[in-house]
Amino acid sequence: MATPAVRMFRRLEGLFCVYKPSGVHWKLVRDSIETNLLKVLNATPSQPLPQEVRFLAQPSTETEAPKGLTLSATSVPVLSKHPLVSGPEFQNIQVGVGHRLDAFSSGVLVLGVGNGNKTLNDLYRTRVTRDYTLEGEFGTATDDFTHTGGVVERSTYEHITQDKLERVLAMLEGANQKALLMYSNVDMRSQEAYEMAVQGLLGPEGKSAPILTGLRCIHFQPPNFILEVQCLNETQKYLRKVVHEIGLELRSTAVCKGIRRTRDGLFTLQDALTRHHWTAADITQAIRQYHSSKKHRKRSQSPAKKPALKTSEDVTATQQNEANEEAATRWFFFVLFIWLDHTFLGDAPHIRPILFI
Amino acid sequence: MAFPFVRLCPRHVSTGLQVCSYATLSKASRPQEKSSAGPVFQYVGQNKKPTPKVFVWGFSFTGALGIPSFVVPDSGRKKPRKYQLTPYRLETAEQISSAACGYGFSLIASSTKDASKLWGMGLNKDSQLGFQRTQHSRHQSYDYVLEPSPVALPLVNPLQTRVLQVACGRAHSLVLTDREGVFSMGNNSYGQCGRRIVEDELMHLLFFSQVACGQDHSLFLTETGKVLACGWGADGQTGLGHHNISSSPVEVGGDLSGVEVQQISTYGDCSLAVSRDGQLFGWGNSEYRQLASVTEATQINSPRHLPLKGCGKVVQAACGGTQVAVLNDKGEVFVWGYGILGKGPNLSESSTPEVIPSTLFGRSQFNPSVAVTRIRCGLSHFAAVTDRGELFVWGKNVRGCLGIGKRDDQYFPWRVTVPGQVVDVACGVDHMVAMAKSLL
Repeated sequence: MATPAVRMFRRLEGLFCVYKPSGVHWKLVRDSIETNLLKVLNATPSQPLPQEVRFLAQPSTETEAPKGLTLSATSVPVLSKHPLVSGPEFQNIQVGVGHRLDAFSSGVLVLGVGNGNKTLNDLYRTRVTRDYTLEGEFGTATDDFTHTGGVVERSTYEHITQDKLERVLAMLEGANQKALLMYSNVDMRSQEAYEMAVQGLLGPEGKSAPILTGLRCIHFQPPNFILEVQCLNETQKYLRKVVHEIGLELRSTAVCKGIRRTRDGLFTLQDALTRHHWTAADITQAIRQYHSSKKHRKRSQSPAKKPALKTSEDVTATQQNEANEEAATRWFFFVLFIWLDHTFLGDAPHIRPILFI
Repeated sequence: MAFPFVRLCPRHVSTGLQVCSYATLSKASRPQEKSSAGPVFQYVGQNKKPTPKVFVWGFSFTGALGIPSFVVPDSGRKKPRKYQLTPYRLETAEQISSAACGYGFSLIASSTKDASKLWGMGLNKDSQLGFQRTQHSRHQSYDYVLEPSPVALPLVNPLQTRVLQVACGRAHSLVLTDREGVFSMGNNSYGQCGRRIVEDELMHLLFFSQVACGQDHSLFLTETGKVLACGWGADGQTGLGHHNISSSPVEVGGDLSGVEVQQISTYGDCSLAVSRDGQLFGWGNSEYRQLASVTEATQINSPRHLPLKGCGKVVQAACGGTQVAVLNDKGEVFVWGYGILGKGPNLSESSTPEVIPSTLFGRSQFNPSVAVTRIRCGLSHFAAVTDRGELFVWGKNVRGCLGIGKRDDQYFPWRVTVPGQVVDVACGVDHMVAMAKSLL
């Protein structure tokens, strides 16, 4: 018999994303969301206490009662199930965090509740890219690559034009495209390596060095500039280091003023919940939206695509735990990945940047 | 080299106070004061031009790379480096504008008016690098030249003439100058060197715009679009209508008569010409189905027009030993012939042009318009330079000539990591020379 709290919890299981503000550790975000959910779950009206029949000894009122115990059946509430005795129904819930964001960055942070954590695991293991917006400023180099770090060096930047920046970005993209080929485990002498390279499916499986699959400048006003990157297996510190290296390549220096993740897999800034919406009601709605979009996506995948996906799944062999849900969710993420490929990535392999002279 | 110097300029103080209402300000987000104390370094000025560089890689024991320490190490503890598998910088005295790789030797030329404008390195047994006087005897020439040595050209006005282009074949080389015609050096046993051609010796004043060397024959392209050929013709590669040797350049006819040619290309025994309106003509060896679109014979001794379906307007052609590549005006590369063509190991021969998908050259959603601007062929490999300055190679990796860091063959276009933007590349049998410029 599911209590209303458990029913509400079932509605909460799934994935959703929040907007993590900068200056905040991701754990605080996760903890506050867990606290909010627990408050609401434990505030559901409790079930009426079950009654049980107990044979209680009646106190005898008359003095001339016969000797011995008289027991009478009474229905008493089960005190061991009282909330004051057993505690609230939910002590903690499993809220898991997807790809982490460090304190300096802000943006989309994917969280999973309950069963959604298994999907989070799969999200981690498949090759899903993330989009970031990096704000940089020329003229300074600091020890932690941000504008709040200790200044190491200052240099001029009047010689930097957008054309030179584009050249450096093209060089970095070329290096990253090559890394994408090098880290893939496919034998380069096989025909399938060629087929995958043409479609842009070559890439690392599991852990690898960070690779930027796309890089471009969307705003340039010296000394400030904004880059848009798509990357795999990255850390935010690595992205700040990329900004620093771009400054070095341009014979100047640069620091990163802000990192914002605009997309993590299929979760974009549009779906992210801001701080005032970290309540159970908004989260339930976000999760419902996630479930419905997953169903819609599965239905919209034509059956003709399935054989192609199957071969790519065989080739990019992850561990084959044969649980049906696991396979279904992995299906979902491969579908997600292929779909992402065609919409976000286009088709090009990318490389680890190499610092050039 | 520009030395960084300190320029003390006042920097305005910017207040970057971060207000975060969610959490307390940690030590890391303390506001940073940009004080005006502290030096500001200037590494480059606004007028810095990119530095030209030359890179070489491949088989080094012939000396073709021009780095003597690979063949004869500086100290006894070091070992000679037989294969240079990644690009290695070659220091040159001048900016190199043209380079060519032959069978075991290379020529690099600069478009300067100085006295030394042409350097050669590598195999010199047939004097393909001119006469390189030895230290010990005035009458002997070095058989192997290990570093770029000046090639003395018998110019009438050495300080006025510029070298426009060089070309190298199996054992001979051609040098095209702007005022004094074409010079040839090396093996002339099949007449491939012709004679020294000077304009006023011919009936019309002929200015040449390009020279190309095949294995044992030579092709010359005039500014008016006529092609002349000389040398060995057993495969019909001279295109003169016979299979004999031709010892002086004769104009090529066939389908090319009346056609204005803008580019010629040859490296083995097959020759190609691209006309100004984008048509392709070929003659010579067709054993590997290079010319199979017009003939089933193994040789054609007279130029024939090659109807290519789906290629569009041809802008450049490159001919290798067994394979052929063309570039159209949209920047797409088409390949056919025999060997590793660039579409995986399954495609090892084709008689019709096959397009190489441009995603392999770096086209992506962020760069939808990457186009190839130059295509070159070595004996059994290809090289393509894109408009973003990237170099892609594929084909048989003969002694490390691809420069990709390994000795395996490459079945689809692979980027070569060159520090800089590649401007042009010259392909040989087992080595390559690339001319690049720095990013900034």
